[in-house]
Amino acid sequence: MTSLSFELTIGILKIFSFVVPVLVSVALLVYLERKVLGAVQLRKGPNVVGPFGILQSFADVLKLLTKENLLPSSSNKFLFIFAPMLTLILSLIAWAVIPISSTYVIANINIGILYLFAVSSFGVYGVIIAGWASNSKYPFLGALRSAAQMISYEVSIGFVIITVLICVGSLNLIDIVESQKNMWFAIPLLPMFVIFIISALAETNRLPFDLPEDEATLVAGFFTEYSSISFGLFFLAEYANMILMSSLTVILFLGGWYPPIDIFPLNAIPGIFWFVIKVFLILFVFLWVRATFPRYRYDQLMRLGWKIFLPFTLIWVVITSAFLFYFGLLPN
Amino acid sequence: MFLVGSFFLFAAFLITTCIFVIFSKNPVNSVLFLVLAFLNSTFLFILIGAEFVGIILAIVYIGAVAILFLFVVMMLDIQITTLMFNIKRYIPLALLFAGIILAEIIYLTVFKTSKNNLDTFIRSKNNTEQIGDVLYTEYFIDFQLSGIVLLLAMIGAIVLTHVYRPTIKRQNIESQNSTTAEDRVKLVKIKSGEGIKDD
Repeated sequence: MTSLSFELTIGILKIFSFVVPVLVSVALLVYLERKVLGAVQLRKGPNVVGPFGILQSFADVLKLLTKENLLPSSSNKFLFIFAPMLTLILSLIAWAVIPISSTYVIANINIGILYLFAVSSFGVYGVIIAGWASNSKYPFLGALRSAAQMISYEVSIGFVIITVLICVGSLNLIDIVESQKNMWFAIPLLPMFVIFIISALAETNRLPFDLPEDEATLVAGFFTEYSSISFGLFFLAEYANMILMSSLTVILFLGGWYPPIDIFPLNAIPGIFWFVIKVFLILFVFLWVRATFPRYRYDQLMRLGWKIFLPFTLIWVVITSAFLFYFGLLPN
Repeated sequence: MFLVGSFFLFAAFLITTCIFVIFSKNPVNSVLFLVLAFLNSTFLFILIGAEFVGIILAIVYIGAVAILFLFVVMMLDIQITTLMFNIKRYIPLALLFAGIILAEIIYLTVFKTSKNNLDTFIRSKNNTEQIGDVLYTEYFIDFQLSGIVLLLAMIGAIVLTHVYRPTIKRQNIESQNSTTAEDRVKLVKIKSGEGIKDD
């Protein structure tokens, strides 16, 4: 019995060691986003609260917590409250299988990548339930847009993951990273890497694909009716999902915790440092894209997903497997 | 003990959610209970060690099929009273399907006694690799046939629903992409006091 409670304690501590840094980095990511946007647009960004304005996000969270939580009278009350909770839970449980070093992971399961794919495809439920339960026009339209968009881009994400899996021969995330010890998959699979980043932008509803919350046409999209902390939960979940998709990109394409070159001063640095640096770089690309590109029109978004990415990734899966087969490079 | 306990927990939850799928008054709630039912069957698959089948069930049914159900049901303007009135019509068909599925279960569990084989097959180390070994070799024809059935269903759905309406104005992406800045805007130097001359 003591060993069981000991393992339980270790497990809970491990969970906290993931969740707390993720939530803190969400706050810092919001700050970073405002600073990067400010720098791109020749402004200062937040610079009042705390040194260099770094406490701005924490102040915003406190403000959201003290506001009144409004429930629209015609909404479906249970689902209305449940939707933001579901969204945040789904963006946090995915961290159970993310390995940040060769040994440090909460659950090292055989089908880690499929688990991540499943959890990220459940994310659309939070959005669609929120849109329906609000019982209002704009949230409903936002939810429909978001559902169609996320389903479309999951298809190409699935094919990109299949290409990586063909090269690895395992569904385990640690195996995927360890097979990139000599060469990161971003180099031989460069087109897939680019498509994965673009699809990740669409999957997390980020600019230039943030049509579910297109303020010019839909007020605020699916969370128009949300206020106070229930809005805060959606906000947290969106940024936690961004960090998650960046980590997934790093695991699939940028060699996880491995240094760029396996030589002395670089490989002496702990792996978690490289992991965080790479995640940070991908996140910076997310913000950079937001500051640079205008929003897509909805038919352009659908065309890109179904008529360009889907055929391209499908053909690339065939090419990769044929190449590996004829040159005898298939794993196992 | 833990396994048996969680089996009964998930199984009871599965049956409860299935009952709610049938008896919910609101069709959206029915679909959400259906999602819970799929989730519980995923847990049951994982409990017997078939994690690949379980997670694929979750990805395909929860991640795609149920979302499309929800999509359709949310947009229907259904009068709940008429829906409840019509439910008795489907009872004979439902009983027929229930009978077929019951017969299949009885056949598989009582008469076809390959149960021990299956058990060792599932519990041995990595069932993902084992499925990969047999799917394209032993069961190649079956796999391709089911693929063709799905393709037929997809093409059938498109043929039935796609109506070409010539009155709709469509976007011509190629011409939009080939537009240059010169086609749309030009820089005009205006001398002060003269204004723009129309040319």
